[in-house]
Amino acid sequence: MSDAKAREWIEAIHQLDLPSRVRVMNVCGGHERTLSMAGIRSVLPKNVEIIPGPGCPVCVCPEEDLYLAIQIALHRDATVMTFGDMLRVPTNVPKREVRTLEQARAAGARVVPIASPSEVWDAAMANPSERFVFFAAGFETTMAPVAARIAEGLPENVDLLISGRRTWPAVATLLAGDRAAFDGLIAPGHVAAVMGPEEWLFVPETHGIPSAVSGFRPDQLLSALYSVLRQLVEKTPVLENCYAHAVPAGGNAQARRLLDTVFEIVDAPWRGIGTLPESGYGLRPAYAARDARVLHADLADESRKRMGEMPAGCGCADVVLGRIYPTECALYGTTCVPRSPVGPCMVSDEGACRIWWAGGIRSPEDLRTLHA
Amino acid sequence: MHDAERITLAHGNGGRRTRELIDEIFATRLGGPDLDTEVDAARLRLPGDDWAVTVDGFTVEPIEFPGGDIGALAVHGTVNDLSVSGAEPVHLSVSAFLEEGLEFEVLVRLVDSFARAAKEAGVTVVAGDTKVVPRGHGGGAYFTTTGLGRIVRGDLSAKSVRPGDVILVSGPVGDHGIAVMLARESFDLRGDVRSDCASVLPLCKTVWDVPGLRFLRDPTRGGIATVAHELSRAARATVRLREAEIPVRDPVRGVCEMLGYDPYYLACEGRVVAVVAPDEADVVLERWRNADGGADARLIGRVDEGPARVVLETSIGGSRILDELEDDPLPRIC
Ligand code: SF4
Repeated sequence: MSDAKAREWIEAIHQLDLPSRVRVMNVCGGHERTLSMAGIRSVLPKNVEIIPGPGCPVCVCPEEDLYLAIQIALHRDATVMTFGDMLRVPTNVPKREVRTLEQARAAGARVVPIASPSEVWDAAMANPSERFVFFAAGFETTMAPVAARIAEGLPENVDLLISGRRTWPAVATLLAGDRAAFDGLIAPGHVAAVMGPEEWLFVPETHGIPSAVSGFRPDQLLSALYSVLRQLVEKTPVLENCYAHAVPAGGNAQARRLLDTVFEIVDAPWRGIGTLPESGYGLRPAYAARDARVLHADLADESRKRMGEMPAGCGCADVVLGRIYPTECALYGTTCVPRSPVGPCMVSDEGACRIWWAGGIRSPEDLRTLHA
Repeated sequence: MHDAERITLAHGNGGRRTRELIDEIFATRLGGPDLDTEVDAARLRLPGDDWAVTVDGFTVEPIEFPGGDIGALAVHGTVNDLSVSGAEPVHLSVSAFLEEGLEFEVLVRLVDSFARAAKEAGVTVVAGDTKVVPRGHGGGAYFTTTGLGRIVRGDLSAKSVRPGDVILVSGPVGDHGIAVMLARESFDLRGDVRSDCASVLPLCKTVWDVPGLRFLRDPTRGGIATVAHELSRAARATVRLREAEIPVRDPVRGVCEMLGYDPYYLACEGRVVAVVAPDEADVVLERWRNADGGADARLIGRVDEGPARVVLETSIGGSRILDELEDDPLPRIC
């Protein structure tokens, strides 16, 4: 049934009298996955481009944070637990040194991939005499459940290395220049469900750019895309909530309150991009005694902050900002493939390079030329 | 449970315990009246037909899973390889690697299940071997089976596939991959997914005589996407699969969506993919639907002129390339 609806939206989009080039950005790995897996780009009018933007928290996790996590795993008597896709993200240290958490584990360090924060709590309770470091990188949707668990009570033997980021400040950065990087925005449904759709009002109201909050099925994305394109044609930019049954006004008040209890908003570095104002979650002072950054400050290498770039030759920063498509990175599919990734965007399940590769996109032409 | 009820290293020492293991657990269940467990080689008298031989190793974790176990898998896997090669399975040999500590109770279940599967497929077990590996060196039990089959339809090959041919599948895909994964991982996912682990001999047998049948394959590791790639390479043509036509059970689809898997890469253990001339597709579908395990058979794609690649026509009317499997999402499932 939803497929039939999707076809109707496609038809409706084709009926619109669109300008010669329209660039619509999405800022969520989940959206990008649906777009690629359903082949949505292949059914759109040729002048409509959908650009993957900042939708991958693992991709922008600062290199120095990852470096610190690796050093803790190698040099401290502690188990580092982190979301699975973090394990293979490379740092910029020389090739003969330990570059990833996976290599640290192979070298004997205790590194455990997890799928949910509760695994950290379970492990810590089951092994009260051991120490654990929970290395958490994520956007609002990840940090809200992390905050909830911390607020409920942090076991004595768990320390925290938090690299949480907020989505909208990255989009605000993209819109800060003279020329907008895109003509329409598909706003992230899950983030809006937590934080409230209102966070995205600045896009139409301050910048005059059409926007719509979207769900994750193909028909839902197509309805949001239709909304954005129709607003563009009618020159009536608003924020339409096309995922209203899951995204109430104000979001999830309880989740927001817990986020606020545990974290404060800080200026935060994004790997390869720089420090974005008010874009990160930092632990509140009450948790300072459990902050791995403070506890293991001696392992951090201050000089790394200057090296906080992407690996040499990797275009991830431009991919994350939607300045280039994954296929426009010179390493895409040559030296950088999922089996031996060069940059984080080819590692993380939410990285645009990885998603495009999984969706079979090998060259820019593949986006459009598949139709029989 | 004391040691007498588990496999110990002594069961692998070639002495009395080894003999007891073979005679009491394996030979009584698997052997026919003619099986002599004392000789080093079985003597077979084969009529002057063409024969097919295949060998396969099985290492699944867990060794028992909803819908099957490694015993049944070890028979079906080899029987299925013969069946899709157009051969009627006749004889089987088995080599078992048992891990120290394996409970007899479990082993008996596996061997019983092996025996049932062999009987169902009409094969006799003519030779066998057991080895015991130290604890920690072999996930419970590994089996290797060799199958010997009489060729009935000898010209089935991916090389005879040509543009215009259509692609059929005998039932829903991905059940085995997801069932085993759910049995192994501690995901908080409920859902009644059972492995499709079964013999495809009846499905194959019923279509061996269709003249336009070009190729049969059981889509195990790598799933139907991997079979499609094999076809496109051999035929140097574009294989188009239609997402809307590929049967996937709802719980399988649900788990895939949650974990980001593509069901088209997941293993099946009781399905067949057939490539057939377009005008005979209905004959194959009809016969499958009337056979055991073929009720949900569907036409899922076609072979087209064009570069050697696999294109998935998505259910919203889009298309994307279905790439060769990059990293295996599910290790050790068959
Ligand atoms: S293709 Fe690889 S190197 Fe290039 S941007 Fe993507 S992850 Fe970085």
